[in-house]
Amino acid sequence: MSQDFGTSTPPAEVSPTQSDGAPLRQDSPRSISALGTGLGKRVVESGLSFVAFILLFAGFGIWLRGNFLNIDARLLDIHQNVPILLMSLAALTTLIAGAFDLSIAGVADLSCYLAVGLVVKQHFPFALIVVICIAVGLVIGFINGVLVERLHMNPFIATLAMGTLCEGVAAVYSGGVLINPSGGTAQLPKWFLDLGSYQHKAPEWLIAISLPVAAIAIFFALDHVHPQGWSQKRWIGAKLLLLGVLALLLVFVFRLSRWLSGTSWLILVLLIAALLLWLLFEYTTFGRQVRAIGSNREAATLVGLPVRRQVVKTFMLGGALAALAGIAFAATQGSASPGVADTALLPAFAGAFLSTVILSRGRFTVPGTIIGGIFVVWIGTALIIGGVSSNWTDVVNGVILIMAVGFATVMRRKA
Amino acid sequence: MSQGAETTPPMSVSADDVEVLNLTKAFGSNRALKGINLTIRGGEFVGLMGPNGAGKSTLLKILAGVYSATSGEIRLGARSVPSLGGNPGVGFIHQDLGLAEGLTIAENMSLGAPPKRLVGPILNKRAEREEATRALTRVGLDRDVNTMLSELTAGEKALVAIARLFGRGAQILIVDETTSTLSPPEANRLITSLAAAAKNGVTVVVVSHKLHEILEATERVVVLIDGAIVADEPTKGLDRAALVELLRQQETAGSVHTGSTAEGSAEDLIELRDVQVGKLDPINLTLKAGEVVGISGMVASGLHEIAYAVNGNLKPKHGRVVLLRPGLKRALVPPHRETQGCFGGLSVRENMAVAALPRWRSLSRILNRRRETLDCETMVRDLSVQPPELDQHFDVLSGGNKQKVIFGRALLRQPDVYVLCEPTRGVDVGTRSEIYRLIRGLANNGAAVLVASSDAEDLLSVCDKSAIIVGNTLRPFRPTAELDASEMELMV
Repeated sequence: MSQDFGTSTPPAEVSPTQSDGAPLRQDSPRSISALGTGLGKRVVESGLSFVAFILLFAGFGIWLRGNFLNIDARLLDIHQNVPILLMSLAALTTLIAGAFDLSIAGVADLSCYLAVGLVVKQHFPFALIVVICIAVGLVIGFINGVLVERLHMNPFIATLAMGTLCEGVAAVYSGGVLINPSGGTAQLPKWFLDLGSYQHKAPEWLIAISLPVAAIAIFFALDHVHPQGWSQKRWIGAKLLLLGVLALLLVFVFRLSRWLSGTSWLILVLLIAALLLWLLFEYTTFGRQVRAIGSNREAATLVGLPVRRQVVKTFMLGGALAALAGIAFAATQGSASPGVADTALLPAFAGAFLSTVILSRGRFTVPGTIIGGIFVVWIGTALIIGGVSSNWTDVVNGVILIMAVGFATVMRRKA
Repeated sequence: MSQGAETTPPMSVSADDVEVLNLTKAFGSNRALKGINLTIRGGEFVGLMGPNGAGKSTLLKILAGVYSATSGEIRLGARSVPSLGGNPGVGFIHQDLGLAEGLTIAENMSLGAPPKRLVGPILNKRAEREEATRALTRVGLDRDVNTMLSELTAGEKALVAIARLFGRGAQILIVDETTSTLSPPEANRLITSLAAAAKNGVTVVVVSHKLHEILEATERVVVLIDGAIVADEPTKGLDRAALVELLRQQETAGSVHTGSTAEGSAEDLIELRDVQVGKLDPINLTLKAGEVVGISGMVASGLHEIAYAVNGNLKPKHGRVVLLRPGLKRALVPPHRETQGCFGGLSVRENMAVAALPRWRSLSRILNRRRETLDCETMVRDLSVQPPELDQHFDVLSGGNKQKVIFGRALLRQPDVYVLCEPTRGVDVGTRSEIYRLIRGLANNGAAVLVASSDAEDLLSVCDKSAIIVGNTLRPFRPTAELDASEMELMV
């Protein structure tokens, strides 16, 4: 019933001149009204939360000044949260398909233990260890997928149990204690520790390449909001102008160069993972089919999509990303401790849910997940800097997540 | 129509009279109801008829308060009300009865009613059971109220739903196509029970496609076509044939038959060999290139199961679906647009492209967004989807335009066989004839088309040959032009 309801109301507000079946007249007034309502509304709706975050950031900046507006410190925040953001991406993959996977924390834990333990205890070459970790993530994701899609188990209980199982295996393997490569034992390779350290920055040439690429990408991405009736020439001019202003703002107001020179290897890993995932979901058959499945599974089946196979694949992808997050945990900490990823499960899901309102109208997106995750981290830090006792960290985090996701949900329902 | 005017003089208006005055409803530019005037007196038994898409369900939804009318007035016992929904004196029965399978009859009856309590939160189960028993006797259902609902037949469940409404003091019952999913004896039992209730002073409005139900039980028939009442007269003395003719004549308007059936040498594309789906008897059916084949039947007759089997979504219990052309592609337009056809959160472009994505895949397996957009733009223009914006949220479109996009999805796939379920459900007259022309065009371009529709107009307007499901059997195919009135009656 609510279905009918939802679909009956919108047509009235689309445009009064619209007519089913009438041939389109180019000069009809609806092209103007579409610019005014359709496009404008779209931009406002999807940008509102983003603007709210920026304002919040600016507010804290005015309040705390140099303590908060410190590019290095803010990048360090991101750096330390790369594992959690990777877990957000892991959560995102299954959410896009309309499923969810609670085992990602367990998988990250297990992968973290394997990454450190296989060096210290088994003396495996590190490249092999990375392959093993990712493979473990893929296998666990596959099992999750089979349990949920083939055996029709409740995904809540299936993935929760699988996560607990992974943590159990990690505990058995480690004897339930911290594995810390120290003194006499085999050491983690130096490049891996460098990867995890904030002191080691990504090379400048990589950044130098990525900048023009980003500019070109933005240039074409803007075509999505091409106002009807603007000539090609005028539009390109407007785009170039916008890009120029953006570049000036970034360079002189936001100190782009310092952000770039502060980008650590781990952040770069995150950005590359996000870029690949974004490409996968927006520009491949797999990604588009998964989105369709997440939007309406029955319709996807009737269209003839291989629904179960694609959902199992998203579980595997999520597992692999969770395993990658585990390796990142190992890199940032240099050791593996019990339950390292446990507290990351909620922020990971929160980041994914936030993406539905950040520069997006109700759909899960990769960039939104990263941006949302980062802003939540920054707001938490700002409150701590502002004088909230560190004992309150979890309270603050809980409140921020509830407020952010609550805001996201309300916004999405309105849109 | 004239009936409405007669009601204005202040004859004795009883508290159970329902009046609908000049009610209109528009969805965008699509006028679903064009000024309905209707008076139903207390204790009357009224049958409401009309083809699918005539506006019956829109009218009922406005009465129930699901939709709000664009203009007009609803009066209950001379008092103007926004809708009849929420009024304990009025009860609605839909196809979905709103009963919980896992509860007993008595528990179902007390669902949603104010709880009767003994002490504090402790429920008075005995009182609930007694009340349920009393209500059951009113509808003539002799069942222990402790029976689990899942043990009842479909007809008995419908009676429980009615008894529940009586238990809450309903004096007006509005029954929407509840009999269409019941077996004939159960449907009769339900109608008899409703007739008995009407005799005892309850007002009953029944929506049904079954002529004999309407003719045998009701006192008055109201026929709704294209959003307007075209007939409103006492059932007594109403000519059965005249009623059929009335329903039929409206439906054949706008036929786009081109009579291109003569080619006997057309290639066979798909063959169903003794295929058994659902409760239907084995079916044999061949789809030829360039031919439009129609099957019709009641909504729950298994009509769409046949379509799913042809499209490969449903594996038949027995028999085989044989594809006679290597690499044969099929595309389906599903019967339930909202639940089976819409990817709500996605854009119009994504909705259209989803079935044909490999078309735009380059060597690197990355989708070529530019070519995809171009193809979708062409399709949006060809089908004149309004508004013609690809990045629009799909949810914003009106029903008819959604249907066009779903057609576009099938077209972009460039299949050899089109399986179209209820292709014109809930679309307005203009779009309807556009869709017929489109279907004809598909066949003329060498595709095979199967139309599975419970709406007789679809068959009469575009199908070369048709067959009807009666009971559990698909009757033999006949050229549509040769179908006679009695067969038509089975369809409407």
